[in-house]
Amino acid sequence: MSDRLLNQFTNVAKKALEASKYSTTLGMNMAEDARRLSRAEMNEEDFVRKYQGMVQKEFGKKMELAGIEETKDGPKWGMVIDLRKCVGCDTCTVSCKAENLTPPGISYNVVLVEEKGIFPNVSRTNTPRPCMQCDKPPCVTVCPVRATYKSGDGIVVQDNDRCIGCRYCMVACPYGARSFDFGDSYEGEMLGYGAMTAPDHGMDRGERKKGHSPIGTVRKCTFCFHRLQRGEEPACVETCVGDARYFGDLNDPNSVVSKMASEARAFRMKEEYGTEPRVYYLR
Amino acid sequence: MAMNQSELKYEEETNPNVNVALRYKSWMVFLIVAMVVGGAAIGYRLVEGLAVTNLTNFVPWGAWVAFYIFFVGLSAGAFLLSTLIFVFGMVQYEKVGRFALFTALICMVVALMFIALDLGRIERATNTLINWNVMSILSWEVRFYLIYMVLLATELWFAMRKDLNLLARSGNLFKNKLASFLTLGSNDISDIAIKKDHSWMKILGIIGIPIAIIGVHGGTGTLFAAVTAQPYWASPLFPIIFVVSALVSGTALLLAMYVIQRKARGLEVELGMIQGLAMLMIGFLAIDLTLEFYEFLVAGLNNKPEKMAILSVMFTGPYAWSFWGVQLFLGAVVPIYIVANKRLRNSVTALTVAAICIVIGIIGVRFNIVVPTQIIHQLKGMPQGYYAPNLVEWLSSLGVVAIGLFLYSIGAKLLPLEVNDEEVIEHE
Repeated sequence: MSDRLLNQFTNVAKKALEASKYSTTLGMNMAEDARRLSRAEMNEEDFVRKYQGMVQKEFGKKMELAGIEETKDGPKWGMVIDLRKCVGCDTCTVSCKAENLTPPGISYNVVLVEEKGIFPNVSRTNTPRPCMQCDKPPCVTVCPVRATYKSGDGIVVQDNDRCIGCRYCMVACPYGARSFDFGDSYEGEMLGYGAMTAPDHGMDRGERKKGHSPIGTVRKCTFCFHRLQRGEEPACVETCVGDARYFGDLNDPNSVVSKMASEARAFRMKEEYGTEPRVYYLR
Repeated sequence: MAMNQSELKYEEETNPNVNVALRYKSWMVFLIVAMVVGGAAIGYRLVEGLAVTNLTNFVPWGAWVAFYIFFVGLSAGAFLLSTLIFVFGMVQYEKVGRFALFTALICMVVALMFIALDLGRIERATNTLINWNVMSILSWEVRFYLIYMVLLATELWFAMRKDLNLLARSGNLFKNKLASFLTLGSNDISDIAIKKDHSWMKILGIIGIPIAIIGVHGGTGTLFAAVTAQPYWASPLFPIIFVVSALVSGTALLLAMYVIQRKARGLEVELGMIQGLAMLMIGFLAIDLTLEFYEFLVAGLNNKPEKMAILSVMFTGPYAWSFWGVQLFLGAVVPIYIVANKRLRNSVTALTVAAICIVIGIIGVRFNIVVPTQIIHQLKGMPQGYYAPNLVEWLSSLGVVAIGLFLYSIGAKLLPLEVNDEEVIEHE
């Protein structure tokens, strides 16, 4: 019924278009795709991409995507760690190792312990240290092969398929947040350890084998990118027993992390190095 | 210019009293043994990866990086010495001119072998050329090294061209055939052509000076100085100290190699020239020590805790012996004493010992640059690292150096690197 009505309308529209000085086929095709668009068989981006050139030619006007701002400028991830809430239990370190299946000697996250004073007047500060995902990362500057770079979501990415293993980024990182994969394995104490690897930056590498990436290259914290893709928080944030870690979009001024990061208690590690870390601490 | 160049024969002068051939043979046997032993270590490392070294995530750079900057320094130093001869006309050193260029080339090959050995993924080394990060000094260095090596080879070819031709015409042995091949068909050895060769050498030398100073060795120093995270390296004086210490080690190595070669072949060594080189070497050493004195003095007065921690490891830590013993006593006090002492100054052997001490001292300098600063972790609260090269690293280093010496010995045997006395006069 509706189709017949539509077809009738189409004939009328066709006549109207033929009378106008503009292209009939373009009008008809756009109308048809517009119907697909309304039935969600086609998305707006594809529609605009398909007709942008032709519309420009025919009408001299540029087609713009409505509401594109949201998808273009996605979240820029950041982390806030409340040092008053951190109890120094190292759960983040352990859960990170379990989540990312890092080999012996590699820990993307550590907890630094600093004790001050003489007994009985002692204070102890626990400072968890993931990768700071700097906005001006020294590791990216020094890399001779552009194997490490700053991605749009704020994460410093390591491309293990390009890295030559020169370890220049490791000596250049002021936070010691990078590790070299020497190829060590827990196979002796944990049967089947090498059977799988955690997906670094969404790249599933399957079995951990000699000569395969990431062995022989530098590795680092990814803010648990594979979890972010599933809409989950990084493992260290989720497992923190004191709920000391917060994770979210620093681009959004109303997010919890943004508000906390602008508090008077907030500071960043080694700010004087000009690295602009995306991990904030609350004193 | 008294004689007709085209009639000049290239001849090897040897002293019949010494069994040169036997010495050469036993030297080569020694090198081959060293290469086999070292080669086994290199092979083990290639198969098993960097896990067989003593490197850790706390100290990611070790002996191979230290040797790499040491040999880059030797190369730059030897080349800069050659420019004193070919560009600035210090003809009194002409005899070592070609040796300087050839040494520079071989040292560069050795340096690249060391750094290749240090890569976690050697097979991806060409990535540095494909994916150029213009912000990365290391990325620039790779390019400078390659350009520099081409330049060295070209300049050496111009320096040898006449003698290659003479050698090609004087016999039918392998050596003569090789020389004939290496002339690349350029057979004109008239006075005009030789003059042209000299001007080419001068041009290449002039281009080479900024490449060697700023590009190759100053650049290698900048590679360290650019790292803000390592307070000991992040000093603008660092690249300059690199270049000056390169001149020290380059001159010393050349002096030692030249004397040893001549003596091994039972030939006379001219004391005057060796003394001149030794003075040059001590002069460079004095500048080097002054720069280092200010480096440490200013650091001490600035009293920045991170830097002081590293200096205290250097001066009093587990590597203090390397600083006080190797770098300062062996590398500075002993050679300065030898050159200052009236009796020792007139002995070629003593001056050679001084030069060898300096070369070993500079190895200490390179280790002290690379290792102690990494012992103190960038972050407070992290454990202190420790590093000393293990057997695999030592043996593979021995292997790489043996390969370099082997190439050098073959080159010195087959190529016309010696300069006849007549030519020294003829040059200017």
